[in-house]
Amino acid sequence: MNKKKKFLAIMLAVVLLSLSAIAAGAMSPENQTEEITIDFWHHYSAQSAENETLVNVLIPKFESENPGIKVNAVSHEWAELHNKILISAGTGSLPDVARCDIAWLPEFQKMGVLVPLDQEMPDFADVSGKLLESAMSTAKIQDHYYGLGLNTNTKILFYNEKMLKDAGVAVPTTMDELISAIKALSGTNADGQQVWGWDEPGLYGWNLCPFIWSFGGSLTNEDQTVATGYINSPASVKAIDTFVSLYKEGALTGFNSGDIPMTDGFGTNRYAMMLEGPWKIAELQGAYPDLAYGTAPMPAGEGGSVSVLGGEDIAMFNTAKKEAAWKFMQFMTSDFAQIEMAKCGQIPVNKSALEDATVKNAAFAPFLEAIKTAKARPTVAAWSEMDNELNVAVTAIINGEKTTQQALDDLAGVWDQLLTQ
Amino acid sequence: MKTKSNKNKIQIFLLLLPGLAVFCFFTVYPIIKLFLMSFSKWDFTSMRQQEFIGLQNYREVLADKFFWTSFTNTIVYTLVTVPLQMILGLFVAILVNGIKKFQVTFRVLNYLPVITSWVIASLIFRYVFNTEGLLNYFLSQVLHVTASNIRWLDSRWSGLTVAMILGIWKGIGWNMVIFLAALQQVPIDLYEAAAIDGCNGIQKFFKITLPGIKGTILFVWVMLTIGGFNVFTSIKMITGGNPAHQTDTILTWMYYKAFSTGKFGYSAAVSFIMAFTLGIMAIFQFKAMRNRDRELEEIG
Repeated sequence: MNKKKKFLAIMLAVVLLSLSAIAAGAMSPENQTEEITIDFWHHYSAQSAENETLVNVLIPKFESENPGIKVNAVSHEWAELHNKILISAGTGSLPDVARCDIAWLPEFQKMGVLVPLDQEMPDFADVSGKLLESAMSTAKIQDHYYGLGLNTNTKILFYNEKMLKDAGVAVPTTMDELISAIKALSGTNADGQQVWGWDEPGLYGWNLCPFIWSFGGSLTNEDQTVATGYINSPASVKAIDTFVSLYKEGALTGFNSGDIPMTDGFGTNRYAMMLEGPWKIAELQGAYPDLAYGTAPMPAGEGGSVSVLGGEDIAMFNTAKKEAAWKFMQFMTSDFAQIEMAKCGQIPVNKSALEDATVKNAAFAPFLEAIKTAKARPTVAAWSEMDNELNVAVTAIINGEKTTQQALDDLAGVWDQLLTQ
Repeated sequence: MKTKSNKNKIQIFLLLLPGLAVFCFFTVYPIIKLFLMSFSKWDFTSMRQQEFIGLQNYREVLADKFFWTSFTNTIVYTLVTVPLQMILGLFVAILVNGIKKFQVTFRVLNYLPVITSWVIASLIFRYVFNTEGLLNYFLSQVLHVTASNIRWLDSRWSGLTVAMILGIWKGIGWNMVIFLAALQQVPIDLYEAAAIDGCNGIQKFFKITLPGIKGTILFVWVMLTIGGFNVFTSIKMITGGNPAHQTDTILTWMYYKAFSTGKFGYSAAVSFIMAFTLGIMAIFQFKAMRNRDRELEEIG
């Protein structure tokens, strides 16, 4: 007993001593070389291959190419990063550069913390010219660019091969085919369990936009200033109406708290089809490696085959060490970095990287075609509130509190107001 | 003499200083700051400079139908869970108090839910009440009461009920421990005297036990009311406020507004409205208890 205690005490002393030594080392001035450290916040998860590539391949390469600049990369959870940037903006402790979900940029721009790159960086046009226009459009707010496209994604159709074959349903290519396929694939399976033709895990823009757009509807006007006449247009109403009636027929589910989670439902043959992004391939590979499924483009309706654009931009905050930060942003969007990241499933936005053989043969190749026609959700600061109102409106339709037309008319009024703020 | 007492005062002050500093820095300062925040325009557009806008945040909160939904949900949650926790807790306490053997075992068993993590308990409840969860399996496959699965988590009141059941289940143990301590404070001779006078068990409970633990009842009542208003984890984990904020409570709504939409001023106003409501309720509770005191004295 006594010996144990003694041992513990010694261990503690050693730990404390070494900690203080580290602290002393960290505090000792290093003035020999004028070194700049830039902070880079991102949401590549800490255990992921992406993070591994970033830390072991990309940053060492950048640091060796740019002596005197060190990169301190910090990983956050997706939602936590958003909140953390919000709070840090208030306290003035922002990083130099961050990888931001494309949906966040308008908010951050409105807070006045982002650097308008096209104004401050003389070689902006050269750098942005190397990247896909659709990706760069996500960084454009009003007349200026506040970031560089970093990686992109969209959702395409995932279908369960066995379920389609058993039901004698062909892979749908048009909206009409999709709707009849969803109905045909629903019902009960051999074990008497309920099965659904379609899984939709939410009632937000990310979930509903592909339907609205493919039906030929829209959310707002081109300038993103008015919603009346767009979100409540006949085409938009028809899209939501179709969606809701599929739910009411028991052909579609997924957004209720009590529903089977998406990957599990699809992996256990309970959901026949879904619209999902490139990350789902790895997820299904890990959780349900034996599942036979296929992918196809988003079925085309009157508005064509239009899926929703996701992805990330890399942006600089106005407290940044701008020169070094800009160098790092250029590096992260260079073909070298983009190809390395493509190896871990990140879809590049660099045009020459997209021509590379590794990229063309990657698992996400089917998504590359869909990205060309995919559309971004409105790039306005009020989007998160608009998104919430959309969820509320569609829930009211589902609960039978309002008719689709009524709910979308009301929603258009609310959106109009949010868009003027 | 005087110098000595002054010296003492300095000493006392110095000894209190660390605690006071921590208290001021981490409790008083944030409250003041939050109070100021509730009168400022504090959102995405004004992270750096906050404009004083008077009562506008409060007006916005009070005109918001989602706030009133969450407010009603919180009131209902409190009205249901507080009395049930107290009654069941007292009931268990009396049972445990009455037995000679295995008292410790039963105390521990009843206290176990209290020390279970809220997150884990919530996830398990979610699993049980899922549309394809254990409860529906039991109802449809074992008991054959329902043909189709019931959507427990997907509507306002049934979703809240699940959270309430969790709250009650987790609260009974705490109530039991507090009431157990109180029960042991009631003088035994009172019961003996009552027995001689020919009182039955029910009379003893209402005439001796309840008046004897009145102070504790008030304490528990006030604490649980505050706890009921603070319900957050279970709602966040079980329904997440879905569908469309219909199961949000004040705190989950406040959290949503602050961290998902960046309306910090609005959320600060919500928090002060909640504190104000709790203050009013505490005053009311103390008054009600005191009135009852007086009535009892008059009867006695």
